[in-house]
Amino acid sequence: MKILEYDVLVVGGGIAGGESALNLANIGYKVLLVEKELSIGGKMILLSKVFPTLDCAACITTPKVSEIARHPNITVFTGAEPLKITKKGEHNFEAIVLQKPRYVDVDACTGCQLCEEACPVSVTDEYQFGLAGRKAAYIPFSIASPRAAAIDIENCILCGACERVCPPDCIDFTQTEEKLLVKIKSVITATGFQLFDPLKIPRYNYDKAKNVITSMQMERELAPTRPFNTVLRPGDGKMPDNIAYVLCTGSRDKSVGNPICSQVCCMYSIKQAQLLLGALPMADVTIYYLHIRAFGKGFNEFYAQAQDMGVEFVKGKVGKITEKENGNLMLRYEDIEAGVVKEAEHDMVVLSVGVLPNRGIDEVFDNKKLQLDPFHFINQTDILASPSKTSIDGVFVAGTASGPMDIPDSILSGGAASAETTSYLRKEDSK
Amino acid sequence: MEVEKGKTAKYLKTKRPVPKEVTEQLKHFTKTKKLLLNALKEGDKTVPQLAEALNLPKDEVMFQLMSLLKYGFVETGEIDDMDEYYYYKIKSNGKDKS
Repeated sequence: MKILEYDVLVVGGGIAGGESALNLANIGYKVLLVEKELSIGGKMILLSKVFPTLDCAACITTPKVSEIARHPNITVFTGAEPLKITKKGEHNFEAIVLQKPRYVDVDACTGCQLCEEACPVSVTDEYQFGLAGRKAAYIPFSIASPRAAAIDIENCILCGACERVCPPDCIDFTQTEEKLLVKIKSVITATGFQLFDPLKIPRYNYDKAKNVITSMQMERELAPTRPFNTVLRPGDGKMPDNIAYVLCTGSRDKSVGNPICSQVCCMYSIKQAQLLLGALPMADVTIYYLHIRAFGKGFNEFYAQAQDMGVEFVKGKVGKITEKENGNLMLRYEDIEAGVVKEAEHDMVVLSVGVLPNRGIDEVFDNKKLQLDPFHFINQTDILASPSKTSIDGVFVAGTASGPMDIPDSILSGGAASAETTSYLRKEDSK
Repeated sequence: MEVEKGKTAKYLKTKRPVPKEVTEQLKHFTKTKKLLLNALKEGDKTVPQLAEALNLPKDEVMFQLMSLLKYGFVETGEIDDMDEYYYYKIKSNGKDKS
């Protein structure tokens, strides 16, 4: 097994892990950043704009991502994950990292996309959240880092068309999985979050009613690299003019096993509502909410701005969504202020899905227990004095791996984790 | 074993058979693509018009059509008189040869 040595292993190449890696690299530590997806940048790189400033998400993420990718002190592995992390002693960890084959030599690939053109296969594009297709030889998305092709081997027919057209001959179907032994002094877990799967609430008809989409799908529809030519209904291509948002889909809901607030849905829904009014000036947007939690800097003003723009806010819990023959949707909801059950028709419904932990990182730790909190996020054992500390000395947590939080807080958390890691490493250096 | 560059797919095919679902999926896509492009060759159409002409579900037409838009076979035309549905048309300089 190949043996590699670094100062810090960062698990997860989203914005929190990326921020931690950059800070540590800038002060001279050697960092290995391991990302399970084919690109770093996490969820943020796929967003349209960010609240409350309405800055373009890609414009903030891409320079950071390229700084990470080009930093001499950072090594990035994409399509890789740690299988086992063992604490051998203070400042002494060993990790087994699995590098999955991409079937493309990333360093040689120029990102020309000729393989994409040549590939005859079309499958659902997970980076467009199922709204359009992609090829089996593909660049994950246009601003991916590394901007290199990959082969989706599960859906590949092994016709060889891609390798016949590849100018630098960088496609290589002989690649296999590789396990690497990595020696490090410290670990940062920045494993991020996953979105709630609305199929768990059958009353909302997410699979059957084609014009019920998730907020992440709407995010893609609003992004510059969107799957459609504009915001359209996936069910029939109609430009919607009466859109509803259902807040707390999968959050603050004991019946689906997630009683906590996801912290970001109110604000991203308000943001999307404002963007929709820009994209579709004739459209009505209604947000069905339980409470609007606009707690951050500039958030309440952002909420007021949406109200001024004409977004309608209805304090109501949506019980059921049914599809009409024309693809429109009937929302049955409790109007909380009036205390009555009402019905309303919309031509598109966006489910503001909540934030859930990415599971499994605790099982990677071999001889020490990485404690989780009751909601399966990584437990911060000293949340007030040392918020990045976990139950294992020398293992720190960054970003949404510790709980739902927005982008500024994730960056702050990434910064905190890098500072606490530095302090842990310096303790050794000063010995 | 040294495998010649540019012919590695053939090598993997001997080790890893292609699942039937994958070839079925390819057949389905190729067939739908042909149907959609032929229908559009007769004239620009909206998603509901294509669905009616080809007797396919509208969401299926939308998904495949948006994929063809991405792959460079199709482009967006004008919106209809009711400002509801866009017309789609064959892209004149479509590069994709697949």
